[in-house]
Amino acid sequence: MNYIFQFNVVWDHLPELLQGALLTIQLSATAMVLGLCVAVVCAYGKSAGPRPVRWLVAAYIELIRNTPFLVQIFIFYFSLPVIGIRLTANTAALVAMTVNLGAYASEIVRAGIEAIPHGQVEAARALGLKRLHIFRFIIIFPALKTVYPALASQFILLMLSSSVVSTISAVELTAITNSLASTTFRSFEFYFVATGLYLAMALGFRAGLSAIYWAVFQHGRAA
Amino acid sequence: MKIGLRLVILAMLVAMPATLVAPPVRAESTLDKILKEKKIRVAIDVGNPPFGILDKEGQPDGSDVAVARQMAKDMGVELEFVQVPSTGRIPALLAGRADVTIASISVTTDRAKTVMYCNPNGALQIVIFGPRRVAINTPADLVGKRIGITRATLEEATVPKMAPQGTNIVWFDDISATIQAMLSGQVDAVAMTSFAGKTVADGNPDKQIETKLPVTTAFYGPIVRPGDFELRQWINTWLFLNNQNGTLASLYKKYTGLDLPPLPVF
Repeated sequence: MNYIFQFNVVWDHLPELLQGALLTIQLSATAMVLGLCVAVVCAYGKSAGPRPVRWLVAAYIELIRNTPFLVQIFIFYFSLPVIGIRLTANTAALVAMTVNLGAYASEIVRAGIEAIPHGQVEAARALGLKRLHIFRFIIIFPALKTVYPALASQFILLMLSSSVVSTISAVELTAITNSLASTTFRSFEFYFVATGLYLAMALGFRAGLSAIYWAVFQHGRAA
Repeated sequence: MKIGLRLVILAMLVAMPATLVAPPVRAESTLDKILKEKKIRVAIDVGNPPFGILDKEGQPDGSDVAVARQMAKDMGVELEFVQVPSTGRIPALLAGRADVTIASISVTTDRAKTVMYCNPNGALQIVIFGPRRVAINTPADLVGKRIGITRATLEEATVPKMAPQGTNIVWFDDISATIQAMLSGQVDAVAMTSFAGKTVADGNPDKQIETKLPVTTAFYGPIVRPGDFELRQWINTWLFLNNQNGTLASLYKKYTGLDLPPLPVF
């Protein structure tokens, strides 16, 4: 191989790359929190809501899970201005990521809810627990614990797929890397480092999510 | 056996001075070869409108293809097209598959390290354009405006340098996203080639898109292999004559719809 790697160019631009990685982390973390909220509401609506709500939620999930993420991003950024809703690139990216994650995660959460034995809910009702309490303690808490590994994987996938939002000019890690690669002509080096940064972020998120699991479901349970 | 060896040595001794004094045989130049075979092989890129395209019958067409046709006709030789992708324009020439490449190759010093440029036969302008309601008349007006550009293009290399501080430059990954951003109002104006600008303006008359500012002009010309001075000189002569008589300008206008900027020579 005759290619001579020149990583000093990359180190000169490291602050910009880290800036991009920071935006990737911010977008992903916010979308994870909001997306999980959407997922819990939708999963409840789909498993226990009245029929119109069930249909609405089913339509949302099918629509999002059966269309490309890239197209969804384009809709939020390029098409909404036509009806007067103008989102900045970052906001459009966050909304698209939240909506996308919400659909995937609600199916995961619903699986967890349906795994709760019916007798458990009936027992809670017999003990006189309120509807909200039943949902909070008897249904959603154990459900989330059951499906937590699947949710965590979906969160990581979301972080990785956030690289697509560079197409609508959000300046996250991939966007910065593309720009630097095309102006310095050292694409190999920049993509190597970007790969490393994504890997580090994925491992970081995984560790963080494991810590949350321990704090909420193991530690919290004992108290 | 012994005699045989002696004979060989003797023969070598006799032959040596002959090779030293023999006049060097002039290698046949590419121009000689073209004229002898009555055929010129021109590498073209038919995936790059308006310079090179395939027409409805699948035949090569476009401004650079038209230049190649006229050139071969004036040379009095048959024309053979060698169709290459954009990345094969220089390799096809260097590998000897073509005698000359005419495929809107912008003149750069980096490329000149591997191939020889003839004089330019056309120009490609990068301009900033946008809807009429956006007021941009001087570079200073760019301050506070959102200007969309596409990564890995000539505009990415030039716009950030000419735009004053305070211009919001917005990068997109591909040219269609940049165009969409302007049409949907996500950016105030965009920078791209004047050809692309004209296509967008013609396709969206309701948006009243107009050219705001020129950014830079890049010239492109035919390239030949290093050392093919005779061929290069013939092409330059042809370019000179057809620049003077307006043929280049009319071909350029026919395919791009724009006037050919004055072509410098080197």
